Amino acid sequence: MAELYVDQSRCQGHARCYMLAPETFMIDDEGYGFVREGREGSYDEENVRKAIRNCPERAIKIRGEEEAK
Amino acid sequence: MSDNQAVMNDFDFHGKALDTIFDDYVEMLDSKPVGYSNKYGGFWYIAKSDDIFDAEQDPETWSVGPSMLLPSFGTDMPLIPIDIDPPTHAGFRKILLPMFTPMAVAKLEPGMHETAQSLADDVMNSTEEAVDVSALFARPMPTIIFSRLAGYPEEDWVLFDRWVDEIIYDRTTHPERAHAAGDELIAYMDKLINQRRNDPASYDDITNQLLTAKTDGRELTHEELLSYGYLLFLAGLDTTAWAIRAALWYLARNKDAQQKLRENPKLIPNATEEFLRTLSPVQAMARTALKDTVVRGQEIKQGERAVLVFGAGNRDPEVYEAPNDIDIERENNRHLAFGGGIHRCLGSNLGRKEVVISLEHFLATVPDFELAEDAPWHGVGPLKIKINKEH
Repeated sequence: MAELYVDQSRCQGHARCYMLAPETFMIDDEGYGFVREGREGSYDEENVRKAIRNCPERAIKIRGEEEAK
Repeated sequence: MSDNQAVMNDFDFHGKALDTIFDDYVEMLDSKPVGYSNKYGGFWYIAKSDDIFDAEQDPETWSVGPSMLLPSFGTDMPLIPIDIDPPTHAGFRKILLPMFTPMAVAKLEPGMHETAQSLADDVMNSTEEAVDVSALFARPMPTIIFSRLAGYPEEDWVLFDRWVDEIIYDRTTHPERAHAAGDELIAYMDKLINQRRNDPASYDDITNQLLTAKTDGRELTHEELLSYGYLLFLAGLDTTAWAIRAALWYLARNKDAQQKLRENPKLIPNATEEFLRTLSPVQAMARTALKDTVVRGQEIKQGERAVLVFGAGNRDPEVYEAPNDIDIERENNRHLAFGGGIHRCLGSNLGRKEVVISLEHFLATVPDFELAEDAPWHGVGPLKIKINKEH
């Protein structure tokens, strides 16, 4: 089963994901992005796809599928 | 290829050179994406988006020392955190991260709305035929918002524009003037820090955060506080003013976009990303090779300087469709206006929000406007507009 996640080794806190798809992404106290609990399967939603395409660090990935470009 | 060599040999990314820099980018990206310029002591420019991205992800190869700024910002001291490499860098950066998250920035929004509206009203109330919206709007917005956040007393704000002008904009033509203004700014920070050290409990702002923070289990030294404060002052005031002014410059010349955003303000955040991509206040930042390396077939030797040309990467045809068109509805916009990797602009969430809120209030308050006289797209100099009030 594929799973959406933010690669913490790459995220630098641009917060584009949170601005584009706030229902799926959240930001921690230091500004780094993560996928909200229960939203790991939302990778095909239009907003999430847009967040993936706009992440400057290419840090949003899908585990168990071809990695998001 | 060799025909272009002469042009790129004096590639520059400051002052007058910015007038025609987008033509340089087309040429570089087309025929010489890594090349050597003799300016500023000599440097390799790196123009492709992917190459810039890779360099930013690789601090083991690319140092930010002696300074990311080329030429320097009116001082020879390394600026914290931008001129600091790992492992020391992370501790300095961590101190301020919590103050610049989207949630922390959201708390400043009521003040931003109030200030943007009041400045937009000043523009409308001006009796001048040609209203300078750089001086009346783009520059005061970040001065007010950032000064409050940083804790700079309001009576000092009148000093700030000149320091920004002399340190940032005069540094290539009048370095001695930039250094003199830099000395004034250091003296100002010194005074502010000493005053505040005696009274830390009364404030909740960036200056206080720096004074009370610990890195590696110790407080910052006085010299570190000066360096951090100096950088934040310049970064917080100038870039955002440029970004707001550049957006207004574009909208004054493009009535369709102006009208579209006025009718549909929900598009403003997307348009802001596009203005940042194409008209960014930070066109390039420098690095130094820590070891011999190769970029796109070009050997670069240890110790040589390189300049990551974000502005060129942002117009790379391999990444963006019609890269030189400003399309306020562009959907794929992974731009490099704030840099990337460990040195990503700390204030990016704040800067973005200031631009968005500024444009919202400006467009809702000021009817149809156009340039009253020609003005460059770049910098924070005058931007005079004519407002069609009967429109």
